[in-house]
Amino acid sequence: MKRYVAFTKKEFLEQLRTYRMLILFSVFFIFGLMSPLLAKILPEILSGMDLQGMIITIPEATAVDAYAQFFKNMTQMGIIVILLVFGGVISNELTRGTLVNVLAKGLGRHTVILAKYTAMVVMWTVALVFSGLINQGYTMYLFDTSDISNLIFSILCLWLFGVYLLSLIILSSVLAVGSFGGLILTVVVLGGLLLLDLFPKLEKVNPIYLSSRNMDFITGVLTPSDALLPVLITVILILANISASIVLFNRKRL
Amino acid sequence: MNQIIEYLPFIIPIIAVEFILMIVSLVHMLKHKKFRFGNQAMWIIIVVFVQIIGPILYFTIGRGEE
Repeated sequence: MKRYVAFTKKEFLEQLRTYRMLILFSVFFIFGLMSPLLAKILPEILSGMDLQGMIITIPEATAVDAYAQFFKNMTQMGIIVILLVFGGVISNELTRGTLVNVLAKGLGRHTVILAKYTAMVVMWTVALVFSGLINQGYTMYLFDTSDISNLIFSILCLWLFGVYLLSLIILSSVLAVGSFGGLILTVVVLGGLLLLDLFPKLEKVNPIYLSSRNMDFITGVLTPSDALLPVLITVILILANISASIVLFNRKRL
Repeated sequence: MNQIIEYLPFIIPIIAVEFILMIVSLVHMLKHKKFRFGNQAMWIIIVVFVQIIGPILYFTIGRGEE
């Protein structure tokens, strides 16, 4: 336990020193801020354009549009940023061989995986809460937020998807070789999941569900009970990914 | 003009974050001078002119090993 805490601390320090924390927080800050702003000014920009006689009626922007922007940013750019920031967490140490020393001194291999995963999940959680609070603040400043439902649940779904993505990054980095192998494998798996999401019968057993239906929860089209199966499946997949990573990492030659 | 004042609570934080990222990555670049690919001039141009994305690219894929 002591070793686990120490290694987790080392991970946080590394995230700070390699400027990953700075990048993550500044990008998520900008997402939180830009989303309500874009929702507010997009209709104004469109109506200011000279459309040569074409008439477009644009409904007044509402808080729902602000959240639509927020979830769009988070599930597209946000995922790319997560992949870039955390993609090299294990691969870099493996290619540079910096883990050999600590492992030779008796640090358990499972401790390495668990500590790294903890640090990643904590960073993602704090960054998401931070971004969500900023988004909420500015949305309340610009719009009336009374017709929003299930906001917390919707963000929790996004959070769980992020936790799944991080476990996928860990498993891929253990499986693949080279500095970018893990990243590429993660992207391939994500692409496969996105393809599977095209089949309506499979959508409920797919973690993508949690990152693609957020707006349906907010507008009340779906209720939290609809997401029960995807949430369960995702939790099982997260546990499976992490245990598989530990087993495979135990067998891996460094 | 009124519109600009209305959006000041948005514009100021965005510009502040852009500047912080730009300055941190410029300082890092001038101290280390090692890149995984490209040269210093190229990265200075990317970091200064491509707001937000430029510094992120520098820190994630551009900077060299220490």
